[in-house]
Amino acid sequence: MIAYLVTIAILVSIAALVGLALNLQWGQAGLVNFGVVGFVAIGAYATALLAPQIGWFPAMLVAGALSAILSAGLALLSIRLEENYLAIVTIGFGEVVRLVILNEGWLTRGALGIADIPRPFASLGQAIGGDTVFIVFALALVAVVFALLECMARSPFGRVLRAIRDDATVTAALGKNVFALRVRAFAVGGAVMGIAGALHAFYLTYIDPSQFTPIVTAYAFMAVIAGGRGSNFGLLIGACSIMALLEGTRFLKDFVTVIDGVQLSALRLGLIGAGIVLLLILRPQGLAPEPKRRAADLLSNDERAA
Amino acid sequence: MAAQLFFNGLVTGLLLALPALALTLVFGVLKFANFAVGAMLTLGSFAAWVANVQLGMPMTAAAAIAAVTVAGAGLLADQFAFERLRRRGSITLLVASMGVSLMIENVCRFFFGNASRGFDVALSRPIRWEGIRINQEQITIAITVVVCLVAVDVLLRFTPLGRAMRAVADNASLAAVRGVERRTIARLTWVLVGALLGLAGVLAGLDRSIDPLIGWNYQIAIFAAAILGGLGSPIGAVLGALTIGVAEEMSALVIPTNYRQVVSFAVILALLLFRANGLLGAKAARK
Repeated sequence: MIAYLVTIAILVSIAALVGLALNLQWGQAGLVNFGVVGFVAIGAYATALLAPQIGWFPAMLVAGALSAILSAGLALLSIRLEENYLAIVTIGFGEVVRLVILNEGWLTRGALGIADIPRPFASLGQAIGGDTVFIVFALALVAVVFALLECMARSPFGRVLRAIRDDATVTAALGKNVFALRVRAFAVGGAVMGIAGALHAFYLTYIDPSQFTPIVTAYAFMAVIAGGRGSNFGLLIGACSIMALLEGTRFLKDFVTVIDGVQLSALRLGLIGAGIVLLLILRPQGLAPEPKRRAADLLSNDERAA
Repeated sequence: MAAQLFFNGLVTGLLLALPALALTLVFGVLKFANFAVGAMLTLGSFAAWVANVQLGMPMTAAAAIAAVTVAGAGLLADQFAFERLRRRGSITLLVASMGVSLMIENVCRFFFGNASRGFDVALSRPIRWEGIRINQEQITIAITVVVCLVAVDVLLRFTPLGRAMRAVADNASLAAVRGVERRTIARLTWVLVGALLGLAGVLAGLDRSIDPLIGWNYQIAIFAAAILGGLGSPIGAVLGALTIGVAEEMSALVIPTNYRQVVSFAVILALLLFRANGLLGAKAARK
């Protein structure tokens, strides 16, 4: 049971990182990214290939950087476009990443996947036993990323991103460089997705292309919508509740004997789809809505009294 | 070799024409990119498969059932999801259509599993003409699509419904002032779009094996075709589909066939960079 909870906690951590990244891109900056899985896969593969050579920490940094560079590149090409076009370009990017991973066997070992990815603090983990060390590492990583992103959301950069999301024309008229700001938001989101991919690779220690399907993207969207677009704290709740829902349906198999494995996964994915649509209709603000700050809140109490 | 690839490309293009037309019609009338287009095509394939293989119907009857099924699914999705979200803007609608896509795809997976299936049709020898091999399925696909395209063209240009659809696409408020009910037109658009996607699903099932990802495999090519033609332009979508079909097949001459799908992606990127309005479209893609 403990082992099971540990597994869930780590899965939630990975989902939370991916979700935080999408929450920055889509929730705060209003940029639809349907290619989330591509960036996660790039992070995971960069980590898997580099960690045995240069150590886990540099590998993770490279994973984040590579993913950020590709994000920025894609954003430079397509972010001036209307949302509909950005959505299809990012889907296309995700598919291209999948094709490259499948077909460039000399680098990625194709469908066979890459095994024996070293975990951070592996020797310490062996000394203590179990996944204790790894779970602390995963939670700490989420905490650090969360803190950084939350600082960013509160900073002038975060404010101007939300302003662009709500009305790009007005923000541009106020002299902000909407294009550059969007590219930066997209790149930072990409970096976090790359790091999420690194955590994924560290945890499973084996990756192959079948782990990186568009479903990863769907989970991230579900987590952002469930938590409340734009709210980092809500995202954490969203990621937890989604994983609870997904893992809860796993037990269905014990009660309903007619359902086989394929049907179970179909049921879960179908529920995610239904969840996205239902939440958008019934609770668009999410479980923990983004705090709407008014201009007056930015003034100190004295100023308000005056 | 090149002639054969060109011919195959034209047939693939015709196959893409129906879903590309469906995508562009929804975009024109309802103002959002329907990411469930691939999943709806999949639903059409499976509906026809059930009618043809499990119920033993002839292909024409199966095709009719596929068209009706997908039209029904389109109406349901419109009633319960898209109409309710209409006022929230196109981003919300496109994310919702992704949710609808997941639902449809997984309903198919739940009932039919991941196995590949095929229609119960007699195998026939390909015809040889001027050194080009032509399959019976390719002839069926070409004739069906051309008939459909002519029918849609007549419908859009010469019937009151077509005029109303074009009016709503141009300016919904102005159309409403003139007594064109947006809601009715939206429903009829979904019926038309569903029928097109259902038929496309049947044709796709003739061309390759049926599995829950059959529609998803066409997704990027469909979008590439519609964007190439300028989203919202029906004739553009058809021309775009033919171009993408030929480009994908001919790409086999220069790049490994595994990377065929990359062609569509490259076409989208190149277009968005250099000619954002598509070949025929008037709608600006740049902000």
